[in-house]
Amino acid sequence: MAASRVLGADARVALVTSSLDTIGQMSCNPAIGGVAKGTVVREIDALGGVMGRATDMASIQFRMLNRGKGPAVWAPRAQCDRALYRKAVRELLESQPGITLVEGTVRRLLFASGDPRVAGIETMSGVQLRGRSVVITTGTFLRGRIHIGMDTQVSGGRAGEEATTHLAEQIAEVGITTARFKTGTPPRIEGNTVDRSKLERQDSEIGDFEYAWSAFWRGSRTFTPLEQAPCWITFAGAATKEIVATHLKESAMYGGAIGSRGPRYCPSIEDKILRFPDAERHQIFLEPEGLGTSEMYVNGLSTSLPADIQLQMLRSVPGLERVEMTRPGYAIEYDYYPPTQLFPWLEVRAIAGLFFAGQINGTTGYEEAGAQGVVAGLNAALRARDLDTVTFGRETSYIGVLCDDLVTRGVDEPYRLFTSRSEFRLTVRQDNALRRMSDIGLSLGLYDDHEREIIARRADDEVRILRLARETQARSEHVDAQLVAAGTAPLLHPVRVAELAKRQGASLSALFAATGVTEELPREALITVELELKYAGYFAKERYAADRLRRMSEYPLPDDAPYAEMRTLSVESRQKLAARRPLSLAQAASVPGVSPADLQNLILEIERSRS
Amino acid sequence: MSGRRPPRSADDASLAPRVREDTIAAVATAPGRAAIAVVRASGADALRICGRIVEPRGGWPVPAREATRCRVHDVDDPASTIDEGLITVFPAPRSYTGETIIELGVHGGAYVPTAVLAAFVRAGARVAEPGEFTERAVLHGKLDLLRAEAIADLIDARSRSAHRIAMQQLSGALSDHLETLRTAVIQIEALLAYDVDFPSEDDGALPRRNVLVACDGTIAALDALLATVPAAILGREGATVVLAGPPNAGKSSLLNALAGEARVIVSDTPGTTRDAVDVLLEHDPWPLRLVDTAGLREGADPVERLGIEVSARWLARAHVVVACAETVESLTAAMAAISALSAAPVIGALTKFDLVAKSYEIPRMANPVVAVSATTGAGLTALLDEITKVVLVTTGGPDADTPMVTRARHRAALERARGELLTFREAWNDGALPAPVAAVHVHEAVRALDELIGAVEVDDVLARVFSTFCVGK
Repeated sequence: MAASRVLGADARVALVTSSLDTIGQMSCNPAIGGVAKGTVVREIDALGGVMGRATDMASIQFRMLNRGKGPAVWAPRAQCDRALYRKAVRELLESQPGITLVEGTVRRLLFASGDPRVAGIETMSGVQLRGRSVVITTGTFLRGRIHIGMDTQVSGGRAGEEATTHLAEQIAEVGITTARFKTGTPPRIEGNTVDRSKLERQDSEIGDFEYAWSAFWRGSRTFTPLEQAPCWITFAGAATKEIVATHLKESAMYGGAIGSRGPRYCPSIEDKILRFPDAERHQIFLEPEGLGTSEMYVNGLSTSLPADIQLQMLRSVPGLERVEMTRPGYAIEYDYYPPTQLFPWLEVRAIAGLFFAGQINGTTGYEEAGAQGVVAGLNAALRARDLDTVTFGRETSYIGVLCDDLVTRGVDEPYRLFTSRSEFRLTVRQDNALRRMSDIGLSLGLYDDHEREIIARRADDEVRILRLARETQARSEHVDAQLVAAGTAPLLHPVRVAELAKRQGASLSALFAATGVTEELPREALITVELELKYAGYFAKERYAADRLRRMSEYPLPDDAPYAEMRTLSVESRQKLAARRPLSLAQAASVPGVSPADLQNLILEIERSRS
Repeated sequence: MSGRRPPRSADDASLAPRVREDTIAAVATAPGRAAIAVVRASGADALRICGRIVEPRGGWPVPAREATRCRVHDVDDPASTIDEGLITVFPAPRSYTGETIIELGVHGGAYVPTAVLAAFVRAGARVAEPGEFTERAVLHGKLDLLRAEAIADLIDARSRSAHRIAMQQLSGALSDHLETLRTAVIQIEALLAYDVDFPSEDDGALPRRNVLVACDGTIAALDALLATVPAAILGREGATVVLAGPPNAGKSSLLNALAGEARVIVSDTPGTTRDAVDVLLEHDPWPLRLVDTAGLREGADPVERLGIEVSARWLARAHVVVACAETVESLTAAMAAISALSAAPVIGALTKFDLVAKSYEIPRMANPVVAVSATTGAGLTALLDEITKVVLVTTGGPDADTPMVTRARHRAALERARGELLTFREAWNDGALPAPVAAVHVHEAVRALDELIGAVEVDDVLARVFSTFCVGK
């Protein structure tokens, strides 16, 4: 999608997949967004990606996480109908000019003789597709191996789908380092066999937010939410713990069948019980798989125990005493390529024109994968045209944090985004994604007229609201009631709305309403302006750090810098820098083990070698 | 190759390296008549510069880190011998500064070291600024700032306790302690990160109290460190013990007797001591700064009046005042006069006790009184014991568990960290700020501590989240 938008009218993008029917297949839980991830979805959308739109078209439950903590940390999350999500993605791709969907499994990469640059791919059926850039997004399919208990091991990339092996062998031959991760899924159940009277119901909050994930719906097209469905909350208690403990040796992960590392923050029930023996209970969310099915996803009970034990375990959970299991959970091991082998724009350093995106780079999560898809897609198109690549800064987006973390720090477990990975979590938010991303998007020509109009209107809205706030006087009789209700002092003399909005608990929209502003003001632009007013001092600190980081990223380091000979740097720094070969001072600064003193000396060494 | 050069493609002063790369030289030993002196040079060009003024026996290159006999001459003029000595080369980066260092051991005295330094300068080195070798060591990451300061303190140490404090800091006790504190502050950041990043976890919402408890513990630890400031000053500068009393009451004799050597002119004419004279006396747990002031007599000549003024000023700074007098009556009067001028505790000293009949009994008074004799030495130990007792009451003893904060810089950074944590605590307590906004204050506290010791990585926070909590998706 990103590639076709860069290339515009003469785009020729082929999307090759083993099964056209599983484009947009959610292989883990049917939810999009969450903390940091929700912001990423909005960034992807702002760059023209499909994830936001598809989520809007498939969302059957909306929650605003961290709702009580103020809009600065709001994190949107949606439960999706698996089938609708798949349908939406397929539709969006098919309606995009310049993209051709091709069914086939890639056997190998093609190279022109004597040219190290990738020249295309060949499928198992012998079809050859020539191209100047190739993006590989194999998910968990590269030499994927599925484990259910100790005895059941099958090759596969997802339950019921074939793994990919030939491509992995060719890539390993080129000298790219390979490593292995594991991840897992929980069992799914027949929702009609759940005793809901014992469970806590969690309803959608869409009514409170009128939330649209995509910034581009409004205008000529409209967007209406689907029918909403609830989630149900239960827990794994003492009975479940005992079953797991008794059968631990039969688990693929603890019986010894799997050696590779999985994510700490998405642990299996085996992990949870072993690592936190004192916890009395572990929360479980029963998530609807879709509107047209009664099947449910048992979030929180990821496992690689044998199927019969999984059923026993399920039936020990309150509300699931008579449950039927539709599909067992499983663990999956797969290849990834340590992402320190990539440039920050996700091109493989060793092979020009080849890009990796998604789990192949050691990440986990749809949103992280989508973000990399956008970065790789944009740059694959730019490289196909021999144009300069683009990278995203840590200071402007979670996409930037993700790419920088991957290529400079690497991964030692499946990588997931958190707000705490970013130094800029106050200014990089879900409500201002369009403003943050559209400068790059506009410079790359990603948008059609309609989208450009939306971008311009959003910018205008913020200016208009800010001006209104600065010009509108609030008098005592207008606002004292709400100020006192918010726990702040009543007015002694008239004060501008912009000043009052800085007070804790004061609401910009309520202030406008009370002071007789009748103009209709878009919700999200209001939130952005209100936050900018309220936390101006805090935001300024981040912006100062952002400026510094930007200047550091504009200080280039030569790819062939002789780090080994830089004797004024610590030995550890020399080794780390030689291994990572950072492209800028900013990138060098985020290599672990490089101290501020090392950076100073690095500048000196570089300057000396230039003079 | 000299002076500051900003990086070419980043027109940002904050990115410009603070390390200068020219070669510096200095005489490293104290000036004056001495058997030997060391002239030292550091910098990328040190070897080349040295090559122009030194001829090692056996020629260049000389083995690293081994003293080699050599001849020192003027620039490019091997015939003009300045001295014969020893050259030791410490190649970068295994040297004090991290740069190549040359040490020339030559003869001491007024002329030779200066002539050698002048030769270095003519050959292309620059005379080092005070502390520049150590500054370079810090900028090259060879020393942390605290240890560098400890080296300065060690050099300046004039007493056992000042030496002890400097060695403690040099050994890393203060660095380690600050690292522990910094870890505690990062732990608070981790709690806040958890609050935002894991809104629906098994552990449930983060109890606000947990954060407050962690915060209070850290603030208390900062307070404990800040509370060592007076003790550190005491350790370095000594407890001020002011001897006061009427003219010719034997103060100077007593000071000399206590100091164990004649430091002050003693005279029988009233008012000989024109100004305060102070002596630093080695003592445990704190050194004692004995100060002899001019007499407290009112209205004398102008110099005497200045003397009285000085007395008043010293009295205001005294940890303890020793009132000196020859008789009980004049001692009583002196103690009354001193108490009116100073809030410091007063100890009475009946001086010239050797002139009093052995059978004389000191009447009981409100303040402790000790009879002493500068001539026989009687009572001196008792007086020191009494002084120590009083000083310990007012200052508290040294705290073996908490390393001391010795400098205004440390104090300022610790107070900043404390202030940020207090602001955070208030905002968190009344729920005024969302966690990530309030966390800015916590992060500022970490940065304040970083200025003392090192840098913080975002990963520190995440690592802690995962090690402490049960986190499931």
